[in-house]
Amino acid sequence: MPGSIDTPTAEVFPEGQFSVSSSIFGGTIRTNLSFQVTNGVTVSFRYSRIPSASGDHRGYYWDRSFDIHYLFNEQTKFLPSIAIGLRDFIGTGLYTGEYLVATKDITKNIKLSGGLGWGRLSGKNNGTNIFGMGNERNSISVGAGGTIHANHFFSGKNSPFLSLSYYISPEFQLIAELSSDDYDMEVSTSKGFVRKSDFNFAFKYKVASDFSIIGKLMHGNAFGLSGILTLNPKNKPYKTGIETAPMPILEDHLLLQAQKSMDPNIFNRSAKLMKLDGIELLSVEEINKNTLQVEILDRNYIDVAQMLGRASRIIAKTAPVQFEVFKLKLIDYQSGLQITDVDIIRRDLKENELAFDGPEKLWESVNFYNSIAKKNPEKISLEKKLTWSFYPDIEIMLFDPHSPINGSIGWEARLSYRLKNSIAINSSIKQPILTTLDDIKRGPKVGLPNVRSDYMYYYRDIGIKPYISDLTLDQYFKPTKSLYGQLNIGYLEMMYAGIRSEIIWKDNKKPYGLGLDMAMVKKRNTRSDFSILDSRYVTIIGSMYYDLSSHWNFKLDAGKYLAGDYGATLAISRSFNNGWEIGAFATLTDVPFSTFGEGSFDKGITLKAPLSWFTGKKSRAYRQNIIKPISGDGGARLYLPDDKFLYERIKIYDQKSFKDNWKRFYR
Amino acid sequence: MRILLLLVIIFTCVGCTNDDVIRGNKASFTKVYSNILSRSFDIQREKSAASDTIYDREWLSKFTQPIIGISAPKRSEQAALVALGNQDEKLTWVSADGISVSFANGILIATRGYSQDLMESRHGDQFSLFTRNTKKHFKTHRYLDGQNGYIELNFSCSFKSINNNVSYLLDIKLKTTKFTESCTAGTFRHINEYHVLPKTNIVIKSKQWVSESNGYILVYNYYAFQNNLF
Repeated sequence: MPGSIDTPTAEVFPEGQFSVSSSIFGGTIRTNLSFQVTNGVTVSFRYSRIPSASGDHRGYYWDRSFDIHYLFNEQTKFLPSIAIGLRDFIGTGLYTGEYLVATKDITKNIKLSGGLGWGRLSGKNNGTNIFGMGNERNSISVGAGGTIHANHFFSGKNSPFLSLSYYISPEFQLIAELSSDDYDMEVSTSKGFVRKSDFNFAFKYKVASDFSIIGKLMHGNAFGLSGILTLNPKNKPYKTGIETAPMPILEDHLLLQAQKSMDPNIFNRSAKLMKLDGIELLSVEEINKNTLQVEILDRNYIDVAQMLGRASRIIAKTAPVQFEVFKLKLIDYQSGLQITDVDIIRRDLKENELAFDGPEKLWESVNFYNSIAKKNPEKISLEKKLTWSFYPDIEIMLFDPHSPINGSIGWEARLSYRLKNSIAINSSIKQPILTTLDDIKRGPKVGLPNVRSDYMYYYRDIGIKPYISDLTLDQYFKPTKSLYGQLNIGYLEMMYAGIRSEIIWKDNKKPYGLGLDMAMVKKRNTRSDFSILDSRYVTIIGSMYYDLSSHWNFKLDAGKYLAGDYGATLAISRSFNNGWEIGAFATLTDVPFSTFGEGSFDKGITLKAPLSWFTGKKSRAYRQNIIKPISGDGGARLYLPDDKFLYERIKIYDQKSFKDNWKRFYR
Repeated sequence: MRILLLLVIIFTCVGCTNDDVIRGNKASFTKVYSNILSRSFDIQREKSAASDTIYDREWLSKFTQPIIGISAPKRSEQAALVALGNQDEKLTWVSADGISVSFANGILIATRGYSQDLMESRHGDQFSLFTRNTKKHFKTHRYLDGQNGYIELNFSCSFKSINNNVSYLLDIKLKTTKFTESCTAGTFRHINEYHVLPKTNIVIKSKQWVSESNGYILVYNYYAFQNNLF
């Protein structure tokens, strides 16, 4: 969160920026993940170790909390910037506090911030509530945590805080502040520190453009250190990318000459060139005297317009000049289904290659269609039936108060055998070699069938033995142009086996879609081998997807969850048109908060980082992390790999996806 | 001991797959992690070693296709690019390591394969820049930002020429007209140079700005000297 040492400032980060900071002082450890959602709104997730005489784990609390900060007035020549914020506004409220703060650059090198704080920020030097809301802080009943308690915001006494920073150089900054936080809990134990002063002092040094360190003296007693790492998905380190140049387009008379020295078979000569660009050519077919149909399969390009551009350029090089229209059929590798047809006029492709506004002019003549629903020819399966891989596997589990970071390292063997074009057996076998997951102390919850909160028994019994993570027979089908389906039978995940089907309606000219996901499953035994227990569960969940042009994506799920509870999940994410995505989700069902237990309801943060952003080279691979504070039984669903969800696989070829990165068509 | 042995097997077995896409992705992830640990994103193309090549007519005579040479201003070695694209007056040249540059009338209009490519450009008086008495003109460069949108730089340029300038290309001494183009767009400034055969549009040598990240390239239009022109 924007701030000086321990007090807030009325500043913001650049829009879209992630910041990860970690600090340690006086027995306190804090790790923050902040995200600048819009130009004015910053949100933050904090995980802290707080020393306290009443600490519930060896004299400490391990606490998760959320902050929100809103800059509603930007600095002008005479007026300061002004921001309002809520700290720890969801949950148990160990850090709960609110503030109003103003910041002004006094000179080029000196910055002054001052504000008023409530809650934890009014521990020292406090005075009468300026809003007339009384000097007693409204009490809250945190219950099981995880809920918002708006009634105590800005209530009780308020205290001033102040900070002053001086830039000795662009990299080096000195900071002093008057803090109103009384560190009530931290001073109550010898594991904390002694608060001798209201002042904090620090230096901040910018080690690199994206990394800073802070050395600090807190309240005249505790020395501390912080590290801050920033990353903005908008700033690609490799700019346009470092892939090699695409195939230039030739004029007809030169093309005729060039084609004389090529392989006489159009498919062969096209397939060879496409392979160099990471695209698989499945077929080339003459539809009529001036239209050539080309089926292609791509697993590499996150920017599908760039892939389309490269495939079109190659066909323009290899196809005889009489073909005026290229009909490119795009096929999904996993399902083997045809998703989208794209018609490209050869003349326009050529004329706009080096034209100013070339991609925009070409867009006017390109047409997208939903591919027809027909039985797919057995093209993919013929090429390579068996795919296998064997790689290290790392699993991390956070937020167990007994051991905040747990994990395992081992291996994962994946095997996929394609029986037919759209039918495959997929499996994953894992074996932890070093693990602490078998020592998770947190037990299952009470009040609901243990559909997820007993996961620790699985890790305990698996230990360092090999287990079947998943083993399924997957069949994909496409009954109509816009309807896609899949059926998965077998060991769906570590804890469940059974049958699951998903139907998706998605028109590739619309930015929305609908889905229905049904599963009938049984619990697997806790060794995750072949045996299955008797307990049976059913999930029926309908989904609505909407992708806004502003790169905000919404997904609303509603239906029956694993424990038999009924409810809905709302997931909102901000995508960056380069593969980065950050989102949050929350599930509310008819399970009372008290029955759900700690955390009150299921919620979390998702973060997706694309490989291509880091390498500058084409790749669809990514790393996704889900920060989920508490796993309960309410709102629980099957944990399935990403490739078991059709919508994301289909929408990558919808018109909006192409339009979003169309400026890369000629890259 | 068993655990240690398994760990050794796993980590020596990184890359065990029969699928090229998986192998490529896993290798890239490993490289990204090691780059993050070493705090470096510098995995640009391997720099070619400095060569002792003498760029003369004998060297040029070995090429059977039209070529141009390209180098960075501070480097002596050049990359030879062959013409692979031709549309109207626009020529695209491609290097062996996958960089392409496109010119219209000797003026750089696009690049591909650089980390910050000149995606497209628009030049006032593009086809008469060297023949008319141009003093000022405007041009626009477009690049891609991190979210596939355009970064557009609108340059205002002044143009000067020096007649009877002596230029060297290969081992040939030539009289050329040297045009100097000084351009400004906000904080971005560059000065391009074109050595043009007198009273023609033929640019035989130039120094042209590509982008903020890539700076200038030196372009040697050798193809004008192929086919025994001299």
